[in-house]
Amino acid sequence: MTSGPVLASAHDLELVALAATGGRPAFGELVRRHGSSVRGLMRRMGADHAMADDLAQDAFLAAFEQIGDFRGEGTFQAWVKRIAARLYVKRWRREARADLMAEQAGEESDTPAGAGEGGAVSRIDLDEALQGLAPAERICVSLCYGAGLSHAEAAAALNAPLGTVKSHVKRGLDKLRRRLSPDGDGGQQRQVHG
Amino acid sequence: MAEASFEGRLERMFAETPAMRDADLFTLQVVDKLDRGWTARRLLIGVMGAAGGVIGSAQILGSGVIGHIQALSAQSNAYLLQHVSQAIPQGLLPAGVALNGQVIWMAAALAVVAAGLGLARGIREI
Repeated sequence: MTSGPVLASAHDLELVALAATGGRPAFGELVRRHGSSVRGLMRRMGADHAMADDLAQDAFLAAFEQIGDFRGEGTFQAWVKRIAARLYVKRWRREARADLMAEQAGEESDTPAGAGEGGAVSRIDLDEALQGLAPAERICVSLCYGAGLSHAEAAAALNAPLGTVKSHVKRGLDKLRRRLSPDGDGGQQRQVHG
Repeated sequence: MAEASFEGRLERMFAETPAMRDADLFTLQVVDKLDRGWTARRLLIGVMGAAGGVIGSAQILGSGVIGHIQALSAQSNAYLLQHVSQAIPQGLLPAGVALNGQVIWMAAALAVVAAGLGLARGIREI
């Protein structure tokens, strides 16, 4: 059995190889390393804290089941993020919010998910900026720039036309650019929130 | 150019997730779920194996296959004695050991074990 300090210093790919032979301590080390990133992505996509943790757990469990499929072409973290992002989209669609893809295009979100909730060591401006996007824009932008999906992959995951996804991404990017620019909305928000 | 630059910046911002305060608790929860899943799976496999074993044994015993095997064994013993005893040179067997079906089967089993050990040793050397 490989000990804790050895696992802590092992490379992700070594841990993946150990986990592929059923090594749960090695997989635990991977969860320790990348759990926050996956949970953070779920929150940025719009999940509240409990749902984000739930989905991230499911994603890691699915990753353990499918670990033989991981070929090391990208990073382990990116791979799990893609799994988690698809799980989030599945749940989002199941909860009949998929119609928001069409209805709320271009609208600003008035009720940011997770606004004011703590839990992270430090806040990142991106979190605030994302809360200003419509849900569909937020999901599309997060899928493409947070989970690394192509527009086509995001469209397939959302079961939406490619053109619609591209529109949401473009509108989302425009809003984020304005909010994240030094003299944009984000700058004003940062002053307000200190 | 500015668009690509902003997209790159956005990807970097997405990648910069701060460590969560309860990261260790989250890890424990995932590992605990994994362990529970494995325990449940092992139990399920064990129960299914035991049930399958019981059903299989009952089927084998009920089909009278034991009697068939005994009959086949007796036939094969007679066949082996007839043919193998002619092929083995005189004096090869230790004194006091009579050549019969049991001795032949035992020798065959020992040969299989020896071949298995040799194979295992060979794999280890490779």
